[in-house]
Amino acid sequence: MHSRLILLLVLTALILLSENVFGGNTFNLWPLPSPEEYGNIIIDRTSRNNNVKPVSFSHWLHRTKYTCRVCHFELGFEFNVNATDITEEDNKNGLFCGACHDGKIAFGHSGENCEKCHNGDISYGSEKFPELRSKLPKAEYGNEIDWSQALKKGAIKPKYSIHKDEKPLDFDKLLELRAEWSGISPAVFPHAAHVQWLDCANCHPDIFNIKKKTTKHFAMKYILEKKFCGVCHLSVALPIDNCKGCHPKMR
Amino acid sequence: MKARHIQYFVVSLFVCLFFSLVYADTFGVKKKKLKPHEFGTIVMNNFSEKKFIAPVVFKHWLHRSKYTCRLCHVDIGFAMKTGETGITENDNKNGLYCGSCHNGKEAFSAEEKQSNGEMKKNCDRCHSFEKKVEFKYDFYTFRKGLPQERFGNGIDWIKAEDQKLLTLKDEIEGITIKRKKLTNPKELELSAKALGMPNIIFSHKRHAIWNGCELCHPEIFGVKKGETVYTMQDLFNGKYCGACHGSVAFPNDDCQKCHTETVL
Repeated sequence: MHSRLILLLVLTALILLSENVFGGNTFNLWPLPSPEEYGNIIIDRTSRNNNVKPVSFSHWLHRTKYTCRVCHFELGFEFNVNATDITEEDNKNGLFCGACHDGKIAFGHSGENCEKCHNGDISYGSEKFPELRSKLPKAEYGNEIDWSQALKKGAIKPKYSIHKDEKPLDFDKLLELRAEWSGISPAVFPHAAHVQWLDCANCHPDIFNIKKKTTKHFAMKYILEKKFCGVCHLSVALPIDNCKGCHPKMR
Repeated sequence: MKARHIQYFVVSLFVCLFFSLVYADTFGVKKKKLKPHEFGTIVMNNFSEKKFIAPVVFKHWLHRSKYTCRLCHVDIGFAMKTGETGITENDNKNGLYCGSCHNGKEAFSAEEKQSNGEMKKNCDRCHSFEKKVEFKYDFYTFRKGLPQERFGNGIDWIKAEDQKLLTLKDEIEGITIKRKKLTNPKELELSAKALGMPNIIFSHKRHAIWNGCELCHPEIFGVKKGETVYTMQDLFNGKYCGACHGSVAFPNDDCQKCHTETVL
């Protein structure tokens, strides 16, 4: 009886371990929403509990005017939906959304504007999308817009900072990351394209160590679990469905 | 295989499983940012809960608005890591650590005689973890009127001191031994290793106001330039500059605050 119990425990532990360490199906990519809804989120931390419709937020609309770092670095928005403790009071005090939505920079937090954010509709504002897309360089997945190229060519001019005298750090080191599997070409990481949008501290040191090859567990399996590159490149930035986007020599 | 070996195997397997489950979510993602009032606040629980008392919540922002870092971390002898000092109630009663100031003269003591002759216990004012305590000072009221900073407490402490909005006490009678002040050594330029990364201008002057010499030298940093070799990753791990910057002094998120020198 005793040994049977042990055997059972061993088997359960092994199954759980294998699931956890060696990982299920590596290529189960997330289904992508339509281009006009890619990167749209519904923020519902407290809204519904307070009988208000949750907030719809569109990344594509905001990133035409502001870089990622303005909100995710300067204004302190977290990278996970509902992880930021935004309150109505905060917004009115000029924090979070209220930093811009103050009636001056963007529409304010006042009566007639409620529905512009608190509409609970993930496709809110999508009628403006086709026109925007027609003006910008094309990409294959996500919003089907090549945002990096759009910025580089000056088709969009997102603000780097809400403060006056800040500019991107002139850091353009190109990394070549060897893949763990044979037959997979190395991934390339251009710092130059990322620092246009992001601050160093958006990725370092929490997500990636700063010394090459010292980031533990950096593997595709975890990227698909919304870690590492997957923090952005599954839901907002160009999705990883385009293998060649990072592994350019892959056949 | 003996039964005992099997047992060891099973136990170690579960230990592995436990760690793989617990560790699973702690890498590859961004850590949650602390709110300005939470930054630099620590919870000390060496003995409290063992004695069924709420742990101590210590607010750096409140103390550094009146005292230099050096006073507590050098003269009074507080360690730089939470829990490392191992403060006991007896220590405090003997005038060590918190008791150096919290003695009814410099600051409130554990028990105070009120004007009506009754004794008032102040336990809750420090042993306040997860308790609803009404504090004398509110962070956001305090912050108003002080120069702003992006991260950490959102206060530019250096500027606030510079503009004489804060008056810092650097000595406590009976503890601090008066010595003639050393003149500040020169500002240092520290070169960054990564290509294209701006160099750092380290200001001894700014640091010495708060820290004197002894807080950093010779334990954290050697005194000879180039002697102490460290990387940015060490800093992120709480060593060298990271002993303060990241947990109490402005965090390491603010790259360009130190990496200021333009690269030619």
